Amino acid sequence: MANITFRCTMQEGQVDEETRAVLADGLRRIAAELLGASADDVPVSFSDIPAGFGFRGGAPSTTSLVRGAIVGGVDQELREQVMRAIIDMWTEISGCTVDELIVSAADA
Amino acid sequence: MPFYRCAVPKESVPYDQRAAVAKAFTDVHCGSTGAPRSFVHVVFDESDDRWDTPYFVDGANRAGRPEALKAQLLSDLIDAFRDVTGVSADQVSGRITEGPASWTMEGGMVLPEPGEETAEWYEHDERIGQGQAAAGG
Repeated sequence: MANITFRCTMQEGQVDEETRAVLADGLRRIAAELLGASADDVPVSFSDIPAGFGFRGGAPSTTSLVRGAIVGGVDQELREQVMRAIIDMWTEISGCTVDELIVSAADA
Repeated sequence: MPFYRCAVPKESVPYDQRAAVAKAFTDVHCGSTGAPRSFVHVVFDESDDRWDTPYFVDGANRAGRPEALKAQLLSDLIDAFRDVTGVSADQVSGRITEGPASWTMEGGMVLPEPGEETAEWYEHDERIGQGQAAAGG
């Protein structure tokens, strides 16, 4: 069983509270299904980048970041499975495009 | 990636300067590394985190570049920050930490190692840039 924590960072005003709860449930489900984590024990935090404080390519950003840290680490095949599952879930629920999302799954 | 977080005192850097720093950082990073422009992220943080100096450039890049290039990159970023904001040299410092490219997906693709970017990667960058423009970004 792998332990994973998620830190999600979004541009202010892009994702409402109700949607965040659904996204957190989605992250916990992915952690349980692919990493064997207990869904009730997957910390998920959200923070906002205030409007006018986030830039991409020198222009205001619409990009969200989902950063996972996997205690003990995983092999690259499983890592990519996790990241792709997160992308699919996040874009479907939030309505953002795949180009507006960065996902990492780091060994910790 | 790259992701540059600029820790700054509250209300010390107005929007026009933040935008100018973000553009300057993008120019510096892409000029130094050849990375696509749309992959350069710059965020300003007014939280109370304590650093060695009141202004701090905290960079996170893909691992694998030569030490000399990284040192020059950080120096150029700090110079760019100072040029835009007028902050004195003793008030700003920074660091660049690194992580494996393969740990991150951006735009649905696993990041390539530095120097292994393909033509497809740059086409991808162009697509993201167009999307940003359409979104008003």
